[in-house]
Amino acid sequence: MNCDQVKEHIADYLAGTLDPAAAEELDEHFARCSACKQETAALSETWEMLGVLQQEQPSTSLRSRFYQSLEAYQQGLAAAAAPAPAKRRFFDWGWYGWAWSAALLVLGIGAGQWLGVRGRGQADLARLQDEVHNMRQMVTLSLLTQQSASERLRGVDYSFRVDQSDTQVLKALLHAVNYDPNVNVRLAAVDALRKFSSSPSVRGTLDQSLMKQESPMVQLALIDLIVDMRDKTAAPSLASLERSAATDKNVKEKAQWGLSQLQ
Amino acid sequence: MPEARADNVLMQKVRDGDLAKMAVLFERHHRALFRYFLRLTGNREFSEDLVQDVYFRMLKYRHSYRDGSPFTSWMYQVARNAHLDGAQKHKNETPIDQEGVEEPAGADPDPSQILVRKQDLGLLRRALAALPVEKRELLVLSRFQNLKYEQIADILACDVGTVKVRVFRAIKALTQIFFELAGEKAS
Repeated sequence: MNCDQVKEHIADYLAGTLDPAAAEELDEHFARCSACKQETAALSETWEMLGVLQQEQPSTSLRSRFYQSLEAYQQGLAAAAAPAPAKRRFFDWGWYGWAWSAALLVLGIGAGQWLGVRGRGQADLARLQDEVHNMRQMVTLSLLTQQSASERLRGVDYSFRVDQSDTQVLKALLHAVNYDPNVNVRLAAVDALRKFSSSPSVRGTLDQSLMKQESPMVQLALIDLIVDMRDKTAAPSLASLERSAATDKNVKEKAQWGLSQLQ
Repeated sequence: MPEARADNVLMQKVRDGDLAKMAVLFERHHRALFRYFLRLTGNREFSEDLVQDVYFRMLKYRHSYRDGSPFTSWMYQVARNAHLDGAQKHKNETPIDQEGVEEPAGADPDPSQILVRKQDLGLLRRALAALPVEKRELLVLSRFQNLKYEQIADILACDVGTVKVRVFRAIKALTQIFFELAGEKAS
């Protein structure tokens, strides 16, 4: 064994995973090379000292935060699987819960007066539905522009209540996917886009979003969505992602899988 | 390794809809993840946020977990991505600040030796914080997280030989910085 080969075995030597034959060769080398012997001794000492550094503990709040998130996640999934949310979380949603109440009250009074004059025809109902839709759109759009990431997440959540033909909300979601600084908001927005998957403005823009993303997680989510939508226009972007040396290993595999699905 | 196999089974259950099993995986691994992030970022609060983020991502991307793949490697891959994403927003990561942290004194009965050792450990912490993050990560995974080189190769997507060479370079660089700091202190 020469000095260069010694270096290849140091990691195993430190971890105690050197095989007996290599250990013997190493000892033989140390017997005739004091430089390697001294260097290895110094590295071993550093390695041993690292083992003594204190193992820090996280705060107790980490555990409670985790359990809260897990519960919220499970509830969120259950709610998503259930039919329309009806009155769920009407009063515990902070300012916009009250905004909703006030808006619906005004809407109710207005609609009541209006219905009183015009009767209960189909047109009246349609208009009422329009008003409710506008209100939902307003709440969604205003939440999506909040400073706080958790408010923007709620905005994405709220977008599920908006009609899928709403281009303004769709634009806001696409903007969130492309530019929101918070990765969780971007991920949630990708999920929310599924509802709009029949819209032509989603098809053909996801490949651009894919190339803009730096987060592998968001890239994985986008590839899933592209495949589910059978959006073949994104195939060239998937191919270039797969080829690029800068692409994360998992994303490369996923892009390859995506391409095979789209074929 | 029965525990590792148990982790894989638990994650398969989470993937198949039994989300509550994630709590067991949290109890088993959150401390190790926290220490991994703390050594990389030097910031306790940020490290706890990153641990949260890792569990959120594992829930969200549970479907990408494949049967039989080692859970720990997968978890650290998720953790690395969370750190990369998070670090872009925390460019000004602070060096590890643990002045005044008491190291375990062991069985050494000589107070002067304990003092020397404490000073050395203080220098070692500073040296570790001064090490480039890629090298520090290698040492954190191999020395603090006690992962096998094969697991690290899996996490870093490279071959085992490369990991061993990088570990050698990292510990050598750390030793050099340590001696430089010790020299500064002595002069």
